[in-house]
This record gives sequence, structure tokens and C-alpha cells, in this order.
Amino acid sequence: MRYFARKFGFFVATLWAVVTLNFLIPRLQPGDPAEIMVKKLAGKDAQLDPAQVRAMRAMLGAPDGSLVQQYGTYLGELVRGNFGLSYSYYPFKVTEVIGQAFWWTVILVTVTQALSFVVGVVLGAYAAWRRNSRFDSVVTLGSTFLGTLQPFWIALLLLYVFGYSLGWFPTSGGYEESTPGLNFPFVQEAVSHSFLPALALLIVTPIGWILGMRNTMIMNLGEDYIRLAKAKGLPDRVVALKYAARNALLPSVTGFALALGGVLGGAILVEQAFDYPGLGRLMGEAVENKDYPLLQTLMLLTTVGVLVANLVADLLYGVLDPRARRAQS
Amino acid sequence: MSLLDVSDLSVRYEPKSHRPLDAVQHVSFSIEAGEFVGLIGESGSGKTTLGTALLRLLQRPGRISAGSITFDGTDITHLHEDELRDLRWRDISTVFQSSMNALNPVTRVEAQFRDVIEQHSRLRGEAVTTRIRELFDMVIIDHRFISAYPHELSGGMRQRVNLALALALEPKFVLLDEPTTGLDVVVQHSILENVRRLQAEQGFAVLFISHDIGTVLDLSDRILVMYAGRIVEEQPAAALLRDPLHPYSKGLLGSYGDPRAETVRITYVPGRPPDLSLEIRGCSFAPRCPERIARCTEVDPPLLPMAAGRAACHVAQLQRDEGGAGEHGEPKRTFDGPQFVKTAEESTQALRGDVVLTVDHVSKVFTRRRGLTVQHTEAVTDASFVLRKGEVTALVGQSGSGKSTLARMITGVDSPTTGRIVFHGPNGDQEVAGFRGRSLRDYRSNVQMVFQDPYSSINPAKRLGYVLARPLANYHGLKGDALRDRVEELLETVALTPADRFVNRYGYELSGGQRQRVVIAKALAVEPDIIVADEPISSLDVSIRAEILELLGGLVQTKDVGILYITHDLLSARMLADEVIVLNNGRIVEQGQTLAVIRSPQDAYTRTLIEAIPNPF
Repeated sequence: MRYFARKFGFFVATLWAVVTLNFLIPRLQPGDPAEIMVKKLAGKDAQLDPAQVRAMRAMLGAPDGSLVQQYGTYLGELVRGNFGLSYSYYPFKVTEVIGQAFWWTVILVTVTQALSFVVGVVLGAYAAWRRNSRFDSVVTLGSTFLGTLQPFWIALLLLYVFGYSLGWFPTSGGYEESTPGLNFPFVQEAVSHSFLPALALLIVTPIGWILGMRNTMIMNLGEDYIRLAKAKGLPDRVVALKYAARNALLPSVTGFALALGGVLGGAILVEQAFDYPGLGRLMGEAVENKDYPLLQTLMLLTTVGVLVANLVADLLYGVLDPRARRAQS
Repeated sequence: MSLLDVSDLSVRYEPKSHRPLDAVQHVSFSIEAGEFVGLIGESGSGKTTLGTALLRLLQRPGRISAGSITFDGTDITHLHEDELRDLRWRDISTVFQSSMNALNPVTRVEAQFRDVIEQHSRLRGEAVTTRIRELFDMVIIDHRFISAYPHELSGGMRQRVNLALALALEPKFVLLDEPTTGLDVVVQHSILENVRRLQAEQGFAVLFISHDIGTVLDLSDRILVMYAGRIVEEQPAAALLRDPLHPYSKGLLGSYGDPRAETVRITYVPGRPPDLSLEIRGCSFAPRCPERIARCTEVDPPLLPMAAGRAACHVAQLQRDEGGAGEHGEPKRTFDGPQFVKTAEESTQALRGDVVLTVDHVSKVFTRRRGLTVQHTEAVTDASFVLRKGEVTALVGQSGSGKSTLARMITGVDSPTTGRIVFHGPNGDQEVAGFRGRSLRDYRSNVQMVFQDPYSSINPAKRLGYVLARPLANYHGLKGDALRDRVEELLETVALTPADRFVNRYGYELSGGQRQRVVIAKALAVEPDIIVADEPISSLDVSIRAEILELLGGLVQTKDVGILYITHDLLSARMLADEVIVLNNGRIVEQGQTLAVIRSPQDAYTRTLIEAIPNPF
């Protein structure tokens, strides 16, 4: 039990650090959002009127006061769930803007990641069990080759082949004319729009799991407890699953949580290639427009996402590996 | 019909990048129901490969290339895995080499009994639990450990659990492959006692694979001696001890001394086993054999019935022929090889040497802080002794007795909590704990360490010349020709000759014994006053142990250094040490001249240690 309490304590401490960094980092960047906004409204070459800038700043509720005061306000608002108004989508609240994009990305990423993990681990384990077979060679060589490709490059390729040339799938957006919600036409459109982005991610992401799982599993197959399990006359299925794969899975579980964070990076480019209405595209826009509140909230969201994934992985690891529980409790 | 019949069995390894290698060559033997057979040989002799082949667990690139294995009337040599599965564990089970890792680390012990019991018997649910309890009773382990995870058990307990697991289905045959190597002598002794008792009660047959002739002789009814992939001798244990046929068996017997004798003599077999991937002409042991005759280098001796068993030796055969003794000499019982001799007289002499280090009422308490709780562990309590020049002091105790902690304090890695360690060096008396920076560095050139595992103590990326030159350049500032001469001198001191042949080699190209010599040469490089040797021979084969002991023994006399020899094995302490210090739970329980302590131990713990030494004589 102490293992789990400790892990949770670490989680809270890291969360605080993240929240603070998230406050500081955007403020270190050069440039004034109000100025950019005025320029955007008045045209690039227009003369900047200080009064206009001040007015814009007041309207946006842009931060003023010392850094400490700002930090205090920031924490207070955070607790109340008030993330402010978006500069670029003014006058919408940040939460509303994110709310619209949130599920697009979360569903895309979770589904592809979970699928990649399962596919990768199963293929990797099977390749290791049938080591040096044709299956193993195909999987290992294929993975090594595909692993050199980048998801956004594959996205462009898919877009060209299946979107423009063959015209099987829509090339941009998330849906066409239907009303968002749980109705059949919308779900159908959403799935067909998500298919290519998902495929772009699915071609590359399992590779890490395949190679990782294969290598750990091969190492584990040399262990005494595998030889003993064979000597015990247990069916191959039991030896492979309960003895070999069960142990080889452990490093992958930690890896999975860590990978979730990196995956969002890949997703940003893929989303932009498909003009997919998700968080990745939103993040790109927020950076371009110096939309502090939106950017901060997005960063916070992703880091919290990674932290939660890590916590889950830690807890899961504790369940899966009895040695970890004792070593740290 | 025997329970297990092995006939003309060969195992070949065919790796893609190397020459094929016949690890087991034309081996034939049989084991009767309920018989306890020992299989002895040094590492690389093929004994473990043979065992693995019997279990049909060989993995590529290894395969059975000839011969047959018949178990209980069924030919299992090429039996399909599905049919084999019914035989596994129900009839044939095993305990692996020091199986610290033979239990699945992520599942409870109970589950690992349950899966195999349910696989091969009709027992289910509560009946299985009852059986597991019985098995735990058999190996004398508390029932609460049934639901433990493997890492929660100590090494000895784990091995008992493995033994219980092997007996779960009342097999007819159990293969024990070095089941106690790596465990403390006392634990080893109690596990083997357990094996013997259970074997007598339940009547299963055993093939006991070991490199330790003492325990094999102690336990077995009959013994197979394996060398270079072949069986070179087979005899009942008593006959082997009384009248060994093959010179290699004599060599193995010679590596075992009686610790109670006034003068201990142990012989060793010089040289190394042959490379099995090369063609061998004549007898494979001939190059190392003191009894070699012309025929040995030309004709491969067959394994023939002789005396009470079988042997593959021309000389033994000729001597035992009608009238052969007259022409070829009487059979010898001993191995005419190099000897290592330790006399009680030497020890008495050594105890008069100059004191070089004093350990004065030293205690060490480790403090572990975890959150708000602080845990104190007393690793060493009030230890006092001295180290002398020209003397070997043995520190004997089980793992966890505090011997390594003492070594760390003597080398200046840790400092004592209370008490003092004083070094009587060229600059007068200095306290070890007071050394910092430069003075600590100077002190380290006076105290050198030799570790247990020669395989990981030499940088594999550097040539030996470089390995040995480092300490010389660091501490003595030697350069160029002077440096090279000194390196070669060192190699010669540890009998790696001719030195120029070793300078440009890498550590991994050498045998275990040669590597340990390099490690010792490295320690000698800076001309230390004290060498702390932590189990320097325990990972080496019996036949080369004596070699290293002799080297260390010789150094003490010629180089005038003091050696602190750390070991869990009282027998090797007797061979090397003049004085012995017995450590139990951080306390010195007994201390004195080695022979005196072994002959009349005062402390109960010392007596336990002495009883644990296998004594076939």
C-alpha cells in the first residue's frame, strides 16, 4: 500500500512543478500578444497606436502586475477551472475552444496507441517465440525499415494516394455537413475522416513495441525459469504467455506511458497534414498567434496527460511486478 | 532393464560462425531405479550439456547427433514434444544449477507448484494445496512461504523450494545440476542432507552433476567422471576413492585435502582441457597426464571394463592386465603433478612476522533512513585482530557475517563507526579512517584488492599490457622501457610465461585461472603491503584452484606481503591461511592458528562450519 501512496505523492509534487513551469515558460518568450492582435486587425504595415494596444490588452484581460502577483492570480484561476479567454478565438473561453478539439485528438491517439501497443507486443512476442523463423525475419526486417519513416511523411503519402489520387477518403477536416453529436451520419463521417490520420500513426508506432518486446522476450527465453517451465512439461502456450511474455511485458508497460507524451508530438504534424480538428492543429495555431491562455492550457493538458499516464503505469507496474512493490515500500 | 539407458550419445553444437563442436562424445551409461549417481567434471567437460540432453532441453545450435536415450523402456531420443510432455516432471524432473532464477519472479511460489501439478495429475483445488503443504514439510520450510514471491525467499530457501518442486509428482528420476553451487557451505550441507534423506525415503533415482568431488563422493553410490565430452571413468564411489583408474580422477581426488592433517598437500592438474572443435589425436587427457606413454598420443583409449567399473586409459588397462603390473608398474593412487603444500610449521613461523595493520575494537553500524523511520544495522561488532607481513589471515563466515564490511573498512572505502584501524606503514602509525585525497591514494597503493570474479575485474577492451601498466604509471610514474620491463616481470611473477606472449592479449582470451593470475599481478604491481582477496578461488574450477592458492602462498613468502583471505569455505582457508578468524553475525567467535582451530574448535558455529566440509575420507 505504501508503494501506491508514494507514487501518488510523487504525482502531486510533479504536478505542482508542471503547473509552475507552465506559468513561467510562455512569459519568457518575446513578443506582446496585444500588439500582434492590433497588427492583425489593422493590417501588417499599419502604424501601432499605443492607445489601441492598451485597449486591446484590457479587452483580452492580458496579464499585468509583477510576476508573483500574476502567479497568484494564475493559481487561483486554475483552481476554479477558469483558464481565461482565447486571444485568437476571441471571445470564446479557452476551455470551450479546447473542448471542441479535445475528443478528436484523445480518441485518435488513445485508439491508435492502444492498438499499436497490443499489436506490437503480440507480434514482438510471437517473433521472439518463433525466433529465426520466416515470420520473425519478416517482422524484424520490416520493422527496422518502417521505423526509419516519420509519421507526417507517411501522412503526406497516404493523403496523396488515398485522398487525392484514389479519392477513397476525405483529405481534410473532421466531418462534412452532419451535426456533431452521437448520430449515425456524424460518426460515419468522423470515422472516415479519422481513418487516414490513424493509419499514418498506426504504421509507425507499433515498431518500437515490436522490437522492444522481441528483444526482452528473447533475453527472457534464456532464463532458467523458462527452461524449468519447459522441463515441467507445461504446454507451449503456458510457457510462452505465463512465463516468458508475462515477464517480458514489464519494461514495455513503463515505456508505454512515456511514449504517450512523445506521441502527441507526432500527432501534431499528422493533424496538420490532414487539417484534422484536433489539439495538435490547435496548438500550432496557438503558437503562431501567441495565444498565451490557449497555449498554456494546452501545455498543461498534455503534461498532465503524461503524468497521469505515468502514474497509471507505475501503479500497473506495482501490480504486475511484485519485486517493485517490495523494493520501494 | 535399467531406468535410464544412455547409449553412444553424442551432442553437437553447430553455431553459424564457429566450427562445429562435439560437446558430448559417444557417452554410454545407465542408471538403475533408485540409484544415486554422481557426474563429475570441470567446466567445459560437457556435463551440463549431457544433463540438458537427457532432459531433451537442448536448444539450437545444439542437437543430439548420435546415440539414444531410453527411459523406462521408451526411446526418448527423438520423441515428439507432445509425447515427451506427459513424461516430463511426472517421471523426469530437475533442479537447476544454483537456481536463484529458476522460479518465475512475477508469480507466487504456490502458482508454480499448482500449474505443474494440475498439468500432470488429477488433483485440483484444495487437494493441490494439501500436496503443496506436504512438499513444503518435506523440505522443512514454513507453510507461510507457500504464498510468497520468489524474491522473498533466501537463496537456500529457494533451492529447497526447487527441490520440493522437483519432487511434486513423485518422479522416478531427478537430475540435480550443481544444485548448491553458489550457496554458503552450511546451507549447502543442509540441502544435500535433505536430498539424501528424501532420496532414501522415496527411492527416486538421481543423477547428481557437480564439479566438487567432495560432495559427489559423499552422496553418490556410483560416480561417472567426465573429461572433454567423454566418460573417462565409472566406478562405485568407494572404489573410486580407494582405487582411482584414470589419472584425471586421481587429479581431482588430489585437489582435495584433509584439513585436519598436520601438512596439507593438494595436487593440481596443469594445463587446460582441449578445444573440442579441433581434431584430437590419441587420448584427450594425454597432454596433461603424468602417466602418459607413447600409445596415449596415438590411440584413443576405449572405455573398457576394469576393476570395479570402467575406464578409458591405456596405462590403467595395461597395469591391470595379467602380469601387467610387473611391466608397467603398480597402479598409482595419486596424481604425480605439481603440488601445493601447507605445513603447520610454516604457520607458526608466519605468526612471528611484523604487524602491518591493526584492527582495534572496530564496529560498524549502518543507518538506513526511510521517511521518518531510521533503521540501524550492526554489521560488525567489536572486531580486533592484526595482519602481519608474510602471513595469510583468513576471515571465514557466511554471507552477511560482516566479512565484506571489514574488508571495505580495511581498504578505506568505509570507515568504522567506533574503534580504529591503524596502518603501520613507512610513515609511522596512521589511522585508515583519517586518510583523505592524496594520503588515501598513497594508502591504496599499500593495500590492494583481488575480487571474486576474474571475469569482470579486467577491462575487456584493453590488452593485458595496458591493464598492468596503468597502476604502474599511476603510482610509480614509470614510462617507456622501464614500464614494459616491469609489466613483463609481473606477468612472470604470476607464472604467465613467456610474458611477451601475454602482453598483447585480451583478458577474455584467457582461462579463468589465468585471468585470476592477471588480477593478482595487477594487485602486485604497486608492491602493496597487504592484499585483500575476496573469495579469489570460488569461481574457479577445482583443478585450477590449487594453482591460485599456490601462487598466493608463494607470494606471501617471497614478496613479504600480508594477505587477508576472505572466504566462506573453511577448507580453502586451511590450505592457505596461517591464522583463521571466524565471523558470525558481525562478531568474531573464534580466532587462532588455522590447524588448531580446525582440530579443536571452541565455538559452536565453528563446529557447524567444520561439519559442513564434505569428508569422503
